[in-house]
Amino acid sequence: MSDKSERLAELRAKHGRPPAAPHEPKHDAPTAREAQPRFRGLESGHRACQGCGEALAARLVMECAGPDVMVANATGCLEVFTTAWPQSAWRVPWMHSLFENAPAIASGMEAAMKAKGKNTKVLAFGGDGATYDIGFQALSGMLERYHNILYVCYDNEAYMNTGIQRSSSTPHSATTTTSPAGKERMGKRHLKKDLLSIIAAHHIPYAAAASVAYPQDLQRKVRYAMGIEGPTFLVIHSPCPLGWKHDSAATIEVARRAVECGLFPLVELERGAVTNVMPIRDARPVTDYLELQGRFAHLFNGEDPRAQEERDHLQALADHNIQTFGLNGEGDDPLDTSGIAAVGRGGPVTGRG
Amino acid sequence: MAILTRGAYAEPGTTLDFKTGNWRSTGKPVHDHVKAPCHAACPAGEDQQAWFAHLQAGHPKLAWRELVQANPLPGVTGRVCPHPCETACNRAAMDGALAIHNVERWLGDKAVAKGWAYPVDAPADDAPIVAIIGAGPGGLSAAYHCLRNGLRADLYEALPEAGGLLRSAIPRTRLPREALDGELNRLLALPGITLNARTRLGRDVTVEGLLSTHAAVILAPGCQSAKAWDVDGAVPADLHEGLHLLKEFMDHGQFPKADKVVVHGGGNTAIDLCRLMKRAGASEVTLVTASGLPGPDTAPDDIINVVPRELDEALEEGIEIIDHATVSRLVMKGSKVTGVEVVSLKKEPGKDGRKRRVAFEGTERLLSVDMVVPCIGEAVDPEGLQGLIDGTYVWAKDAWGRLEPENVHVLGDARGDRGTVAEAIGDGRLAAQAIAAKLAGAPDPEADTRLEMGASGLNLSYYMPTPRHAPAKVPVAERRFDTEIEGDLGRAAALAEANRCLSCGNCLACDNCWTFCPDNAVIKTVELAQDGSHYLFDLDYCKGCGLCAHECPTGYIQMVPED
Amino acid sequence: MRKALEGSQAIARAVALCRPDVVAAYPITPQTHIVENLSKLVAEGDLHTEFVSVESEFSAASVVLGAAAAGARAYTATASQGVLLMSEVLFNIAGLRVPLVMTVANRAVGAPLSIWNDQSDSMAVRDSGWIQIHAADNQEAVDATIQAFRIAETCEIPVMVCMDGFILTHTMEVIDMPDTDMIDGWLPPYEFSRNLDPAAPTSIGTLVTPDFFAEMRHSHHAAMMRALEVIEQTDADYADLTGRASGGLLTVEGDPDAKVGILAMGSTVGTLRTGMEHFSDEVGAARLIKLRTFRPFPSDALRDAVKGLDHLIVVDRAISPGLGGVVGTEVAAVLADVEGAPRIHNHALGLGGRDIPETIYRDLMQTVANPDAPAFSVFDVDLNKLQPEDR
Repeated sequence: MSDKSERLAELRAKHGRPPAAPHEPKHDAPTAREAQPRFRGLESGHRACQGCGEALAARLVMECAGPDVMVANATGCLEVFTTAWPQSAWRVPWMHSLFENAPAIASGMEAAMKAKGKNTKVLAFGGDGATYDIGFQALSGMLERYHNILYVCYDNEAYMNTGIQRSSSTPHSATTTTSPAGKERMGKRHLKKDLLSIIAAHHIPYAAAASVAYPQDLQRKVRYAMGIEGPTFLVIHSPCPLGWKHDSAATIEVARRAVECGLFPLVELERGAVTNVMPIRDARPVTDYLELQGRFAHLFNGEDPRAQEERDHLQALADHNIQTFGLNGEGDDPLDTSGIAAVGRGGPVTGRG
Repeated sequence: MAILTRGAYAEPGTTLDFKTGNWRSTGKPVHDHVKAPCHAACPAGEDQQAWFAHLQAGHPKLAWRELVQANPLPGVTGRVCPHPCETACNRAAMDGALAIHNVERWLGDKAVAKGWAYPVDAPADDAPIVAIIGAGPGGLSAAYHCLRNGLRADLYEALPEAGGLLRSAIPRTRLPREALDGELNRLLALPGITLNARTRLGRDVTVEGLLSTHAAVILAPGCQSAKAWDVDGAVPADLHEGLHLLKEFMDHGQFPKADKVVVHGGGNTAIDLCRLMKRAGASEVTLVTASGLPGPDTAPDDIINVVPRELDEALEEGIEIIDHATVSRLVMKGSKVTGVEVVSLKKEPGKDGRKRRVAFEGTERLLSVDMVVPCIGEAVDPEGLQGLIDGTYVWAKDAWGRLEPENVHVLGDARGDRGTVAEAIGDGRLAAQAIAAKLAGAPDPEADTRLEMGASGLNLSYYMPTPRHAPAKVPVAERRFDTEIEGDLGRAAALAEANRCLSCGNCLACDNCWTFCPDNAVIKTVELAQDGSHYLFDLDYCKGCGLCAHECPTGYIQMVPED
Repeated sequence: MRKALEGSQAIARAVALCRPDVVAAYPITPQTHIVENLSKLVAEGDLHTEFVSVESEFSAASVVLGAAAAGARAYTATASQGVLLMSEVLFNIAGLRVPLVMTVANRAVGAPLSIWNDQSDSMAVRDSGWIQIHAADNQEAVDATIQAFRIAETCEIPVMVCMDGFILTHTMEVIDMPDTDMIDGWLPPYEFSRNLDPAAPTSIGTLVTPDFFAEMRHSHHAAMMRALEVIEQTDADYADLTGRASGGLLTVEGDPDAKVGILAMGSTVGTLRTGMEHFSDEVGAARLIKLRTFRPFPSDALRDAVKGLDHLIVVDRAISPGLGGVVGTEVAAVLADVEGAPRIHNHALGLGGRDIPETIYRDLMQTVANPDAPAFSVFDVDLNKLQPEDR
């Protein structure tokens, strides 16, 4: 214990106040950074690329999940860019072990909390590689064992940390370094795995999709999941400017269009059944989404007849989502894509009060 | 040197030691409060965005106080102004411009009803006094802004009452007397303003004489004399000039008898006249105007210069409008007009680049009429202005309306390049500010050279589509001469309309930058930051991704090159 | 309290005495009885622990890692393929310096599939950075398990207690099981210095650049070397408590004047002991060296133990194909610079559950006399069972 108090004293000297411990008294004059009315679970100075959707998503999750949480983080961009020793961007207890075992690490943490009679909520974070692919088995086990864990998948649709290789989450016809376009191929040949349906088939209390373009919706989903005693799952569409080849300022625009065209439906499932969707006010063509991204540039080669075919295919997939989940909604809805995004003086229209 | 920790664990939040700010390569975000287009377009100098911001926060009184910093007569301008602010409004292309004039009027009326105090202090007993010729909107604005700048004002008005054209030439159907008097009386009652009614320039006072007793003189005489009008030398014997006809009607409630009338001109007076004559019994009233009607093919500077609402109402009341045309010949029976020949024309660029009117041969047509009313504008009454007037108008030397000598200013319609109440109000403010600065030995106030925020600088994803709120109107069949046609917007609609304001170019405090920064480099402060927003950029960590600027709904955040 | 117990059952009770907060395991023969017995203790309310039945050994190791990092005393057990499936996590646990205890019920690794005993599983992860203690009998396994928690938590290094599958796990033995009160007083409550705690949130498992990676490995090696003393001291302390020592790093028995020594780990030690009783008249008595601690390797203790020997037979229960026995080559390496060191005779035997009869003692001793015998052999191979070209 003396080790811990010494460390706290050191941190006080270094950062002016104890690290993110709300029950500890604040010192007299907090800096502007400290005085902000939100929990800074993921601190500045991390090494994510400019405009990183994953860094943003994780920050948004931490804000409303923390501070009484602990995190098991799979190998990946998020892990690497936040914790280059001797520094860490996290202000919650955090642990990285391996690529494929974050759900199992989290299971152990949760078992420890149960054994110790503590209420600290356990979070598990992974990218799409860790979640859709290599850690899929561990995730399934975690869900089946009904651990009280919120698993968050930051879905940037390829192995970005290793240099943009395709994953089972990469969308159809997107190019990656292992699914390049060429004379014989139009990018990834296969479809994006419908992970959410598989997750929901575990009959867990809550599984949902969110997008960094709709932070109020995202945070509502996090809070909802945090309140559930049991396994919950959230997949967050997190554009990667480097891998998707778009401008770093366009991260939100890209994410927004993915939702607005129907390719990334924001749905919520409870016990396997769809209980809520975010309706699209005015569905836009998938090309609005695709054209912003270099990974789909080959779909805009006017001289290639396959380009039109692939665009039509992606449009058909989006239409299928819209039809399957009823994304067109019934008239204007304050919580549809337009309504939820709306801001007014002092903040989001839906988020006030 | 770092000493290895067991298992290489790290302490929380220690990446603060790693300043990612030096990653910025292309630019950094800054707050740039540029002009909202409504503000840029407002001749009176109102910052509509600023007062809508107070309304959005639910504070009508603060909104009014913000508004009357520029314009002391919102109840008037909300009724009579052609509101170029709405024309410029960036919301126009989205789902309709904001109903700025309706909200302005609601605020003005509310201030009168509630007795909200103007934001002026009583001037010192020995404060310099400025003489103002003419108590129309320009003169009244000048007097008010003298007070706001610590001066006193003596108003000299030839007529028994203040108000100028507002009282004499604007029909009560759009400016009821109660609305006019309600605002004017409160203004005239401010300490430091003295109204000398029935005092005519040239007859009762002179510019020289006033200069000897006052610190400065502001000329706000308006245009009272009809311009000469003829068609190739032909003038009907019973010619009635438009403004004169209107004033007569305002005083006596009658028009000369006529069944088919052509009005030649293109301003509010012409439209008012057309509508009143039609309502008074004329069966056909036609307006012939050189300007164009609003439409996709009409250049903004070619659109007929009238209040858009009035134009719409005129059309729904059955006024015929022949646009891009002029009267090319009068058909006379003796000295009485029986028909007019109308020819199409357009403004085309000439060799010197200036636009000139070109008539198109072969487009002539004849209209049978029994009255033609020229409504082509008025000139300044030269009485008492010898040496200052140059032809038809009194041309100012600079934006402050200065003449020779420099402590004489001119404003409003008399300047020749003006034509609206709002312009006169704006002129009054500028003249008062310039005089106050000069008296204090200070340089002229600095002009606002900020850029204007165009629609392309906004991110419209963040605005809920919401149709414009419109007040009720008296139906065409029930319109008479006293009842105001456009109704009151009402509190609920006014506040709802305020929430449609896009806050172009100014912080909406929407939190988007704070919410979307992946690097926690936007810091939300509890107090207002010095630049007016709640947010600071922590450039120690900002990587320059540009997300905040892209997602700023209002364009208030701009990426600029590093210093 | 002395009681006849099956090895697995005894281990389960020993684990229970240490009051683990979290147990995670995945079934694999011959480890299953251990976790079955633990489950039973939990079900009966005799053990208050979070028992996590995972979907793989990989997750079993991960769960106990997460639990131990979060401040819980944690335990797992596995064997064979399970050890290999865990291997990535095992390296990770050690690198993070998280204290854990795991029982390995030693078993061969396929292919071909073999569910029977040898030690190739734990040998495959000898470089993972774990402490490895090998039990010669079930009493030793029980004692080593209890000691392992104290060693692991003192050193912040995970400990693997190896016991031969079936031969120990499935064998009834009379076990002297310590009392609960006794162990409660001896084993302090679990406390992990870098414990995941929202009040003082550390980040565990960071990225370390080449500037510091060598130092990481050096520090781990140094910690393992320091652990030698801790292991000895713990065994001594435990002997004070129970009156029974297992022999710290290694023990020497048999004829102290013998010129031939035999070194073995695990249950083979018992077989050799009995064989020596029966056949010492025929082939002479040997000095028997029971290697208990395989990692960290007790080099100094070994050098002392072999003093005066002309020959040292090293029995391996695993093979490193293309080189020879694992323990044998390590022993040879350690004694390479020792003047007058014995000649090493390295034999792998009992692979994949091949029976090790008591006669093995006689047969091994007889090879010493043969100057043409190879330095390494699979001792009990029957070449007649092979195609000629495979012999």
